[in-house]
Amino acid sequence: MGAGRTPSQTIGPFFHEALRWKDGGKVAFAETGRRIVLTGRVLDGAGEPVGDALFETWQLSPLGKTPAPGRDGKPHGFGRVETAKDGTYRIETAMPGGDCPSIDVTLLMRGLLKALRTRVYLAPEERVRADPALKPLAASPRLKTLVAAPAGPDEYRWDVRLQGDGETVFFA
Amino acid sequence: MNDMSRPDAIDPPYLYPDYKSTRLRAPREPLLAVPVSVLDVPGPTIAEGFIAKGDNDLTKHGKSLPLGERMVLTGRLLDEDGRPVRRSLVEIWQANASGRYAHPGDQHDAPLDPNFVGIGRTFTDDEGRYRFVTIKPGAYPWQNHAYAWRPQHIHFSLLGNAPVQRLVTQMYFPGDPLLAIDPVYNSVPDEAARRRMICAMALETGIEGVALGYTFDIVLGGARSTPLGT
Repeated sequence: MGAGRTPSQTIGPFFHEALRWKDGGKVAFAETGRRIVLTGRVLDGAGEPVGDALFETWQLSPLGKTPAPGRDGKPHGFGRVETAKDGTYRIETAMPGGDCPSIDVTLLMRGLLKALRTRVYLAPEERVRADPALKPLAASPRLKTLVAAPAGPDEYRWDVRLQGDGETVFFA
Repeated sequence: MNDMSRPDAIDPPYLYPDYKSTRLRAPREPLLAVPVSVLDVPGPTIAEGFIAKGDNDLTKHGKSLPLGERMVLTGRLLDEDGRPVRRSLVEIWQANASGRYAHPGDQHDAPLDPNFVGIGRTFTDDEGRYRFVTIKPGAYPWQNHAYAWRPQHIHFSLLGNAPVQRLVTQMYFPGDPLLAIDPVYNSVPDEAARRRMICAMALETGIEGVALGYTFDIVLGGARSTPLGT
């Protein structure tokens, strides 16, 4: 017995209060780990900030495990924040476990009829190039768009460019 | 009921010029097909204590009843094999009966309703069922093109049981003449898929003498590529 999938539609500009979670930008885990900040801006094809995006993250725990549910009802390993008027997002989380740590990112916004999925790596570029998951990009200059830049001892900076010069690699 | 439409005709394209906001936000490069990620696993898991009792009755969030036509909205959250998506968070938001969102960004010159916020949350049960009590939202004009009005709709956000099932969509109402001119609705290439975004009237699921019943089932993708257990 099969059923046709329900199509995607835009999140529109009025989702904020409905989808805002208490401490949505402070990602929790059962384990303790090195706390880090991931921040940056979302920019459109004209280089203008996208001030009405929803930015969601999903990642492994500091020990490289699938996050278990939180005791307070809050999902572990999952972050959800809005971009500010200047296109800035900010997620406080823990460094995911593994040799080539990464965070999956889902973007939703007015003007996107379906979600954009991508991934940010918190590892040096040469290590990211060796990741088998990114084999089609191994020799591409675009791989850089998936690598965050250290911006302090516990802070990483990563911008998302939706279109045009330096366009971020998005996943099918 | 087999869906014979092409899978790539179900979701809209990123670039759909009739919907102006896509023009500068749609990526131009092809998407990268990546192998299954270590992150394509069930989750995030959200306990039911995350929401409050009564979050699914949008008519009880003010001091008295909101204006508008009260409705009961029920449906099931399913995967493509028809299996229920159980204990999963459903979040909705909508305009009030006059077509105005209780949102600071909504500049439409229609009255706010002090008794209607237009935000609801619930979890599906073990059969994948959900239920909201709300009012029928109004249509409203927008800036996309001359005389542009959005059809009446309710926004849905579904997390499903794994990231691959994540879906944000909109539910429309049967017989709405504005559907014909709406670029958001018409961005879905396949006609049968478009119609799956329209709820059905179901009188007996309403509350006699109080609220009109509508049903809307939602089918999430991803189940075939990722075993998600039960």
